[in-house]
Amino acid sequence: MARFLARRLAGSALVLLGLSVVTFVLARVIPSNAAALYIGPRARPEDIARVTQQLGLDQPLPVQYLTYLRAVLSGDLGTSIGTKQPVLGELVGRLPASLELIAVAMLIAIPVGIGLGVLSARWQGRAPDFIVRIASIVGVSMPAFWLALLLQIVFFRQLDLLPLTGRTDADLRFIAPIVPVTGFYLVDSLLGGNPTAFIDAARHIVLPALTLAAYPVGLIARMTRSAMLEVLDQDYIRTARAFGLRDRLVVYRLGLRNAMPPVLTVIGLTLAYALTGTFFVEIVFNWPGLGTFAVRSLLNVDYPAVMGITLFGAAGYVLINLLVDLGQAWLDPRVRLT
Amino acid sequence: MDRSTAGPGASRTTRRLGVLFGILVLVAAACGSSTSPAPSTTATSAPTDAPPAATPSGPLVLKVATTANVTTWDPIKSFSTEALYMANIYEPLLWVNPPGAADQFSPGLATSWSTSADGLTWTFKLRSGATFHDGEPVTAEAVKRSFEAAADHAGASFIWLPLDTVEATDASTVTLHLKYAAAADLIASSLYGAWIVSPKALDAVAADENYFEAGVDGGSGPYTIESFTADKEVLLTRYDAYWGGWSDVQHYDKILLTITPEAVVQQQMLDGGEADMALSIPLENIGQYKTNADFTFIEEPSFFNYVGYFNVDKAPLDNVKVRQALSYAIPYEDIIAIGAQGYGTQSRGPVPAGVFPWSADVPQYTQDLAKAAQLLTEAGHEGGGFSLELTYASENQNEGRFAPLIKDAYAKIGVDVTLTPMQFNQQWERSKGDAAARQDMFLVLYWPTYSDAGSDNLWSLFHSSESPFFNLSYWNDAEFDTLVDDAGALTATDRDAALAKYVEAMKRLVDQAPGLFFYDTKFVMPLKNTIAGYQYNLNYPFAQFFYPLHPAS
Amino acid sequence: MTVASATDPVRPMARWRAVLPTDPLALAGLVVVAGLAVIALLGPAAAPYPEQGIGTTNVPEAMLPPGPGHLLGTDQLGRDVLSRIIVGTRNAMGISVGVVGLAILIGVPLGAIAGYRRGRVDAVIMRITDLALAFPPLLLAMAIVAALGPGLEHAALALAISWWPWYTRLARATAVSLRERPFIEAARAIGVSDVRIIFGHVIPNSLSPIIVQATIDIGTVILAAGSLAFIGLGARAPEADWGLMVAEGRTVILNQWWIPTFPGLAIFVSVLAFNLVGDGLRDRFDPRHRR
Repeated sequence: MARFLARRLAGSALVLLGLSVVTFVLARVIPSNAAALYIGPRARPEDIARVTQQLGLDQPLPVQYLTYLRAVLSGDLGTSIGTKQPVLGELVGRLPASLELIAVAMLIAIPVGIGLGVLSARWQGRAPDFIVRIASIVGVSMPAFWLALLLQIVFFRQLDLLPLTGRTDADLRFIAPIVPVTGFYLVDSLLGGNPTAFIDAARHIVLPALTLAAYPVGLIARMTRSAMLEVLDQDYIRTARAFGLRDRLVVYRLGLRNAMPPVLTVIGLTLAYALTGTFFVEIVFNWPGLGTFAVRSLLNVDYPAVMGITLFGAAGYVLINLLVDLGQAWLDPRVRLT
Repeated sequence: MDRSTAGPGASRTTRRLGVLFGILVLVAAACGSSTSPAPSTTATSAPTDAPPAATPSGPLVLKVATTANVTTWDPIKSFSTEALYMANIYEPLLWVNPPGAADQFSPGLATSWSTSADGLTWTFKLRSGATFHDGEPVTAEAVKRSFEAAADHAGASFIWLPLDTVEATDASTVTLHLKYAAAADLIASSLYGAWIVSPKALDAVAADENYFEAGVDGGSGPYTIESFTADKEVLLTRYDAYWGGWSDVQHYDKILLTITPEAVVQQQMLDGGEADMALSIPLENIGQYKTNADFTFIEEPSFFNYVGYFNVDKAPLDNVKVRQALSYAIPYEDIIAIGAQGYGTQSRGPVPAGVFPWSADVPQYTQDLAKAAQLLTEAGHEGGGFSLELTYASENQNEGRFAPLIKDAYAKIGVDVTLTPMQFNQQWERSKGDAAARQDMFLVLYWPTYSDAGSDNLWSLFHSSESPFFNLSYWNDAEFDTLVDDAGALTATDRDAALAKYVEAMKRLVDQAPGLFFYDTKFVMPLKNTIAGYQYNLNYPFAQFFYPLHPAS
Repeated sequence: MTVASATDPVRPMARWRAVLPTDPLALAGLVVVAGLAVIALLGPAAAPYPEQGIGTTNVPEAMLPPGPGHLLGTDQLGRDVLSRIIVGTRNAMGISVGVVGLAILIGVPLGAIAGYRRGRVDAVIMRITDLALAFPPLLLAMAIVAALGPGLEHAALALAISWWPWYTRLARATAVSLRERPFIEAARAIGVSDVRIIFGHVIPNSLSPIIVQATIDIGTVILAAGSLAFIGLGARAPEADWGLMVAEGRTVILNQWWIPTFPGLAIFVSVLAFNLVGDGLRDRFDPRHRR
C-alpha cells in the first residue's frame, strides 16, 4: 500500500509541474498590458514602464517561468492585480466558503443519489425506475447557472421564503457574530452556541447547495443504478437469494456494498465537477467563495490570480483523483497491483 | 471504468468506507481550520469582536452596496473609484458647492482663504480643533507636506502644475505661491490629489510604499477604516474626535460597504434588505422605484458623459464632411432612451452641463439621415460603402446597450459597423498601440478630475499631443489648441473671457466633429425613506457623503 | 462525464441497422435533435422576426411579456426572444459539432496509434493526455479564453483543446483490446502496414463507443459553451448566443423573467435531448449495459 501511495504521489507531483508550465504559458499569451492593468484606468506611460520593470515583465520568458516556479514552491503565488494582495492568501481566505458549499451539496447529493439509484435498481422497469431515470437525466442536463436563476425567481420573488444572495445577513456580524474556528459557518455557529447565526447561515446555503447538487445527484443515481443492476445479476446474489436470505439483506447489504467502487469513482467525478461548477453557482448567488473570485479574476485578466486559481484548482483535482484511487485501492486490493 | 467486485468480504469494506468518509470530512475541516474567515487584513479592531455596548442591538450601521473597487488606499496616489471612501476618510481644504449655491465653496479644513490680485499667491487659514485619526493636530505643516507630495507623485499631480512652492506661514496659515495664475481654490477642492494627510502617515509611506494598502488611513475625516477585504468589503467606523462632532443628529456609527460589481446583485441586495443603499442599480429596473412609496427617487445631473472618437488618421474619417455626416446619423434620442434609460440629456460638446465652461450656445447635432446621406455624397462616398470598427468597454453595460443602436443607424446610410467590446484596459491599450491596428471609433465614459472641464475635458480629450493619451481621435488642430490654451491661462484672472474663448473652441469642435457627443448622464438612485440628510454634490463623482446621513425619525 | 465502453467489433454494420432506438425517451430526444438540426440549417429564415434575431434593435417594443405578437416576449432592445433563440441555434449547434468533430479528429487517431503501437509512443501520448486531463473540467477552457480574450471562436478553440484527450483515452482503450483480435493479427501477418491497419481497421471498429460519447458530448459542449458565455468568456454582444442571452437577461430577471428563462430553457432542452439519444445509442450498442 505504501509503495502504491508513493508511486501515485510521484505521478501527481509530475502532473502538477506540467500544469504549472501550461498555466504559465497561458498567462504570458495574454495580449493586454499587465502593467497597465495593475495601475488601473488612466495609466500613464511612465507609470506603465516603471511597473513593467517592477513586476519583472521585461525579462525573457524562461527566466520569468523559473522565477515563478521558485516562488510557487516557496508558497508565493504572486500578487493579485485586482486586489493587490497575495494570491495565495486570497485563495485560502475564500476557500472555506466554497468548501462549505461543496460539502453541503455533496452531503445532499451522495445519500440522495445513492438512495435514488438503489430504489431505481430495486424496482427496475417499474414506475420508480422511470421517475428516477428521468430525474437523473434532467439533473445532469440542467445548466447550473439557469437552475440558480430559476430558484431565485421561485423562492425569493414568488415565495419570499429564502434570501436572494450572500452567505449571511450583513447585520449578523454586529448582532450575533460567528466566532471563527473552522471557517464553516454552519459548524462554527453550532460550536459557539449561536442558533441565530446557524439559522441564518443555513437559510443562505440552501439554494446554492441545491443548485450545485443537481448534477451530482443525477450522475450518482445513474451510476448507482447501473452498478447495482450489474451486481444484482451476479451469481453470488442469486445464490444468496436461493438460500432464502431476506431481500432487504441481499439488496442493501450485499448488493450495495459491492456496487460501491464504481460509485466511488463517480463521486470523485462529481467532486471534480463541483470544483468548477461552484464558479457558476457562486456568481449568481454572490457567494463570497473561490468561484466568485475566479470569475472576476478571469474577466479582469488578473493573470497572477488566474494562474493561482488554475494551479489551485488543478491541485485540488489531482488530490481528489488521488483520494479516489487510494480509496479504490483500499477497498479492492487487486487495484494496488496495477 | 467498471470495477465491480465479485465475492463477499463486505463488512470490512463497509468499515473501510466509513473510515474513508470520515477522513475526507476531517481533511476538509482541517483545510478550513488552517484559515480564518476574518478579512485578510485588519486595521484596528476585528469585526468579529463583540459589538460595542453602545446600544442593546449593536452599533448603528449603514449598509451600502457599491461597485467601487479600491485601486489604492494611498490618498496621494488615489485617482480612481476609491474616491467613494476617500471622501469620507480624508478632507480637503475646501469643498466646492453644487451649482446654484450661494457661495462657490464651503470650508473644509480651511475656514477662510484669499488670493492676491494677480492670482499668484493664495492664503488659506486652517480651522482649529481638527485632528488626524492618529491624534496629531491638522497644522499648516501637514498641508504643506500633503501638497508637496501630491505635486510630486499624485495620480492627479497635473492639477498642481501651476504650483511653485507651499509655505507654512504659521501653525494655522498656509500660503501657496504659483508659477502662473490659476484657481488654486478650485484645485484645493479637487476629489483627487488634494486630500490633507497626516505627516506621520506620509513618513510611513515614504519608508514603505505599501503602508496604506492593508487598509490604513492617515485622514482627518469623520470616518476611519476599521477593516478592508480587497474586492469584498470596506468597513468604516466613526472617528470620535472628529471636529464636526457627533451629537447634533444620530449619525451612523459604522458604514459597511460591500463591493459588488454586478448591478443586478446590488438591486437584489436592496430588495432583500442586505443593503440600505445601492449605488448602482440597473437602469432598466430603476424606474419602478419612482412609484414605490418606501423610496425617494434621487435624480441629479452628474459629471459623467459619453463621448465618442473618430480616428481622424484613418480614411475616410479624415474627411470632415464624412465625420459630420456620421454625426447627423446618430440616433441621439434613442441612445438616451436605451443607453441611459431616459436618465440623460444630450450633450453640447464634451463639457457636462452644470460644469464650467458649459454653454447653451454650443450647438448639437440632431438625427437627420437625409442630411447625413447628402454629406456623404458631397464627400465622395455616395451611399456609404465603407466599414468601421467601433470599440467599447465590455464592463460598461450602458455602452453595451446603445452601441447596437449606432450600428443600426449607420447601416441605414450604408456604413457597416463592427462592434468590438473589450475590457476597458485592452480598449485603452489598443488605441495607443500600433497605428495600423487602432480602432475607427472609440466610445468612452468620461468625467473631469475637478470642476473645470475646460482644462480637463476640452484639453485632455481633444488637445493635440505627441503620443496619444486621452485624445483618441488623434486630432491635431492648431486653432482649437490655441483657443483652449489661451482660455486656460485666463481662467484664474478673467473667468468670463475664458468662458468666451472656450465657447469658441467648442463650436469649432462640434463643427469639425473629430468626435461624437452623446449624452450627459444623470445620477439616479432610489433612497430609502428610512434614511434622512442625503446631500448630493455633482462636483464629486464617485463620492457619497455618509456623515450627514441619519435615520429618519 | 459519462463514458461508454468498448463493444464487440466483429460485425459493426449489423449493429447499425438496429440503431433506431425503441425506447420512448430516446425517441423523443431524437425528434428534438432532428428539430435542432433543421433549425440550425434554416438559420434566421426559420425565425418569425429574422432581423431582430440577428440583432437589429426594435426600441419601441422593448421588454414586452410573452404574447400574441411575440410568443416568448421581447428583450431590453425590443428584439423578439423566440427569433433570437432560433438564430442562436446555429451558433450552439455549430460550436458543439465543431468542437466535438475537432476533438475526434485530433483525439481518435492519437489514441488509436497509442493503443496499437504501445511502447514509447503510447507512453508519450498518454502522458500528454493525462496532463491535459489533469485540469478540472472547464477550468482549462476558461483560462485559455481569459488569455485569448472573449469571443465565440476563442471559446470553441479552448473547448476543443479541453476535449480531445477524452477521445484519445477512449480510442486507446478500444485499440488495446482490438490489437489482439485474430483479424488484426492476420492483417499484421500478411504484412499490411501499421497505418492502414490503424486507419482501415482499428478506428472503424472503434466507432460505436466514440459515436455514443460524441452524441452526449455535443450536448455537454452546448452546456459548456453556454456556461462560458454566461460568465462573459464566450460569445460577445450582440451575438445571438443562448448563454449570453441568459447573462444579459439576468439584470432584469426579477421583473422580466422571460428574457433569461427561455434561452436557458433552450440550453436545457438541447442538452437533455442529446443525452437521451446518447443513452439510447449506448443501450443499443452494448447489451451488457442495456438497462
